[in-house]
Amino acid sequence: MYTAIQKAIALILSGDRELIDILLVTARMSISSSVISLIIGVPIGLFVGAARFPGRKAFLVLNRTLMGTPPVVCGLLFYMLFSGVGPFRRLKLLFTVTIMILAQVVLIIPLVVSHMESYISDIAASVKETAMGMGLGRGKTLLLLMNECRYQICSTWLLAFARAIAEVGAVSMVGGAIAWKTNVMTTAIMQYTNRGNFTLGVALGLILMSLSLLVNILVTVVQRRISE
Amino acid sequence: MKTWKTEEFTKTYGGRQVLDARSLDLSEDQIYVAIGANGSGKSTFARILAGAIATDAGRSAFHGAKPASIGYMPQRPYPFRMSMEKNLRLAADDPARAEELMEALKLTNLRQAKAHKLSGGESARMALARVLMRPFDLLILDEPCASMDMESTKLTEGALRRYRDRYHPAILLITHSIQQARRLGDEVLFFHEGHLAETGRCPATLETPQTDALKHFLEFYG
Repeated sequence: MYTAIQKAIALILSGDRELIDILLVTARMSISSSVISLIIGVPIGLFVGAARFPGRKAFLVLNRTLMGTPPVVCGLLFYMLFSGVGPFRRLKLLFTVTIMILAQVVLIIPLVVSHMESYISDIAASVKETAMGMGLGRGKTLLLLMNECRYQICSTWLLAFARAIAEVGAVSMVGGAIAWKTNVMTTAIMQYTNRGNFTLGVALGLILMSLSLLVNILVTVVQRRISE
Repeated sequence: MKTWKTEEFTKTYGGRQVLDARSLDLSEDQIYVAIGANGSGKSTFARILAGAIATDAGRSAFHGAKPASIGYMPQRPYPFRMSMEKNLRLAADDPARAEELMEALKLTNLRQAKAHKLSGGESARMALARVLMRPFDLLILDEPCASMDMESTKLTEGALRRYRDRYHPAILLITHSIQQARRLGDEVLFFHEGHLAETGRCPATLETPQTDALKHFLEFYG
């Protein structure tokens, strides 16, 4: 174990090309999917948190259900849709980073919506009533509401990124964990461990854990700003 | 003198009627003090007039023309996450007016302080200054002095009088202080168990209440 960690650190410091490729694919997949999820999920979370409409509770129940979607089920769905017999086969997206991003987006959006909705629903009524009382219009009220949740948006993005970077089930099914193409840290760890190449697996594990630690520190800092 | 007539309306929450308000005339340059026990319907009445919530019928709370502009300070005003001075200038970008109000309410040394970090009394003074930034035809204040000490209450009352003298609005002030009602009120609106139980000139109505409910209320609070 100790030797494996020593070798892994040496591998990281050596700037191994395969390791760098895996990190770059992971970064592309995680950053893209978390940012796209944020772009789609934040307005939905804002709307559901601030507005009261028929079916809102049912929507929240559905969203919570989607939050619990097993990644492999999501992967299976995308596999069926984009495989050689699926309706979207002509797009030829299976085993590409693009479809990995799409699958991740579907998995992460409910998380983003829920995270934003719970925060917004706590403050929206008070913000709206105060702004209305000051004679402010809807546009300015919406801007104020968004300004009030800027730290929450940062915290939500970090959580989305952490979820994306640690996911393995869906990305391995639709990406295929192809070396130099769609292999990300989590799939590579599985792959190299199965092959008995513990050094690369441990190196990736160390990087993944370090990133997870960093993200958690950042989330804590941002959440402290929210509570201050 | 401009006068706005409110409609008769009701408000029900979860099957329980919390307010059954009769029609009322609100005239400019008058301060209406709304008094009554907790849960008597004062805040619901204020929120409906302000447009924050709808009546059961979903119609306007006013019969005919409504005031062109309505200012409203809720019971728990929200301090926006920015400096105290920026909070004031959100309502109207008028630095001179902001300066005047900060001075009147002793907020000048807090201009750069984060609004959400102010103490209860400071936050209430900021919220009042914020709503006084603009001239309104009808100004509704829901217990603005609830978390204030005597000094802040005095400053608030002074600021309100100056606002009335300058812009001549109709002011609806909800208060739990009978002394404050006597000091500021032109008209008394007494709420009891969801009804507007008694109205009349101030302080005469407080000196010689006509209903048993107001008599009992004044015995306890007066």
